[in-house]
Amino acid sequence: MNAPMHHSPPPPTLRAESIGKAFVSGKLRSRILDDLSIAVEPGELTLIAGPSGCGKSTLLAILSGLLGVDSGRVLALGHDLGQLDARALERFRLHHTGFVFQGFNLFPALTAREQVELPLHYLGLSKTQVRERAVQSLEEVGLAPRMHLRPAELSGGEKQRVAIARALAKQPDLLFADEPTSALDAANGQTVIDILHRIARSHGTTVLCVSHDPRVIHHADRVLRMEDGRILDDQRNTPAGATAEEPSP
Amino acid sequence: MVALARKTLVHEWRRFLPAVLAVGFAGLLQLLQAALVLGIFGSASVYITGSSADLWVGYPGTQSVNLGRPIDPNVEARLLMDPAVARVEPFIWLDADWHSGGGTGGVSVFVSGIDPRADGMLFARALPPALRALLNEPDAVVVDRADLGQLGVGIGDSATINGRRVRVAGVASGLRALGGVNVVASLDTARQLDNDPADGGRPTYLVAQLHDHARAAVEAAAGRLRADAAFGPYEVWTARAFARRSMLYWILDTGAGAGVLFLAAIVFLVGAVITSQTLVAAVAGSLREYATLNALGVSVADLRWVVLEQALWVGGVGLLGAAVLGAALLALARNQDVPAMLNPPVALACAALTLGLAAVSGVAAVRGLRRADPATLLR
Ligand SMILES: Nc1ncnc2c1ncn2[C@@H]1O[C@H](COP(=O)(O)OP(=O)(O)OP(=O)(O)O)[C@@H](O)[C@H]1O
Ligand SMILES: [Mg+2]
Repeated sequence: MNAPMHHSPPPPTLRAESIGKAFVSGKLRSRILDDLSIAVEPGELTLIAGPSGCGKSTLLAILSGLLGVDSGRVLALGHDLGQLDARALERFRLHHTGFVFQGFNLFPALTAREQVELPLHYLGLSKTQVRERAVQSLEEVGLAPRMHLRPAELSGGEKQRVAIARALAKQPDLLFADEPTSALDAANGQTVIDILHRIARSHGTTVLCVSHDPRVIHHADRVLRMEDGRILDDQRNTPAGATAEEPSP
Repeated sequence: MVALARKTLVHEWRRFLPAVLAVGFAGLLQLLQAALVLGIFGSASVYITGSSADLWVGYPGTQSVNLGRPIDPNVEARLLMDPAVARVEPFIWLDADWHSGGGTGGVSVFVSGIDPRADGMLFARALPPALRALLNEPDAVVVDRADLGQLGVGIGDSATINGRRVRVAGVASGLRALGGVNVVASLDTARQLDNDPADGGRPTYLVAQLHDHARAAVEAAAGRLRADAAFGPYEVWTARAFARRSMLYWILDTGAGAGVLFLAAIVFLVGAVITSQTLVAAVAGSLREYATLNALGVSVADLRWVVLEQALWVGGVGLLGAAVLGAALLALARNQDVPAMLNPPVALACAALTLGLAAVSGVAAVRGLRRADPATLLR
């Protein structure tokens, strides 16, 4: 990757080096990612956009250590994910990554606060630390007043914010979001984007998001356009909203 | 710790109800079956468990109390020579035919000839002194209240046993026998009713009470007396051992043991199938949530534990229901003179079996977690 001269960014926290991935279904082997390389930097909201089926979610799964590669390698926070076994990957994800999925995937039996607390217990935090962190992240997404409600009593946007708080409370270095706004209306979608953006800025988190949503594209610090398993275009939005063109890889 | 397993169980109780019911009913069936078997076959040793003797002395090799043969009455003297023995009492047990005046056919009865003294050992628990005193009348007998119908008599009525007239002087409870009807008479009356000249009025058993009723002392005395059989062929058992021996003989001889095991296996299997199916469905229903937790780094081992915990809660709740319902049904059974009995080890075994069923089902459900692949959440 070429780092632009006028921008002196911190070193990338996440890089893929000429990764390839194919899925085999029956006799058919379809190549989804082809010799793809990217570097994602901390402290900003990076967006991957592209037509349906081009491999965005697959790329996200690979970069987050949920899926292995056929060729190339993935370096996350200096760890070569291909070298870690299943247990070590679980531990890496526990300590360093958060996820926001398209579906909210909340447990119907738990209140908003309990949803957020649940993964924290596995980090080995004390009971009070768990409680504090959960309340703090629910405050951050503006849900503190509703933290005693169960998913059935929350709106779609509120559920997505609970899911964000759940990812955020772990204080991850890497935050992955796949179509986080697709199930939400304009206002709720906007709120979710603002939260993701704020997390990147205030916590220095590497936020990598997949979306077709034009509002998200507009708000991202950097937009990667993907097609047929390749990155075609890498754009950086300046804070003012103007775009600085960068050479494509 | 957020109690995910328990909270889900409470919140989605409808989903888990079939599993709780399956575990509960399996537990209840095991419990009732065990209680009935113990109750029914326990009545084979009612002579032993209903009396206050510490030691039973009978014909060598006797498998069950109803299979005794006459022994030499002089053994009594040998028993009394042991300093631990306080007193000895003869007991006559015989098969006989009962005919009542009502024209009903013969009924097979077991006549117990006992010492009717107020402090006699035989049936000390079932027969209070006032009833025992009635047996001093020649030809007087006492039967269980529940057997009156089968014998075709009421209190005060006459009937014949082995062709000799007897009179029902009173009724008691706790005398019911297995495979026939118990009729209690005095030793003298019983000798009169015995029409086998070979018996010669000899007792079927001698029972002994010791000065010290502690289990260790009883076992020591039994061992001592068993070692020395110089006065003729006889064998000595503690009351506990003889009661157990009699009950086991019946359970095995009638094939009930195999039946019980067979039914227990079926109940276990059916219960486990229903329970595991319910738990598997519950895991499948929360697959995306489990996968999300795994994506966030909660290990598969920890998720397995959540599913197992859920299974154990299902088992615990089902077991509690079974215990409550079982206790109520056993009380009802006892009230209705249905022979049902439960002892702590057997009740514990039933509980362990029930929780085992839940655990096995949980292990089966854990396998469903293999489909909780977090990569499938990204599509
Ligand atoms: N496990 C799999 N087995 C086989 N093929 C798969 C698998 N996962 C994804 N694919 C295929 O890989 C391609 C890319 O999938 P991916 O989910 O990455 O697309 P996407 O860019 O996220 O699309 P969308 O915008 O619609 O979510 C698709 O054609 C899909 O059919
Ligand atoms: Mg996708």
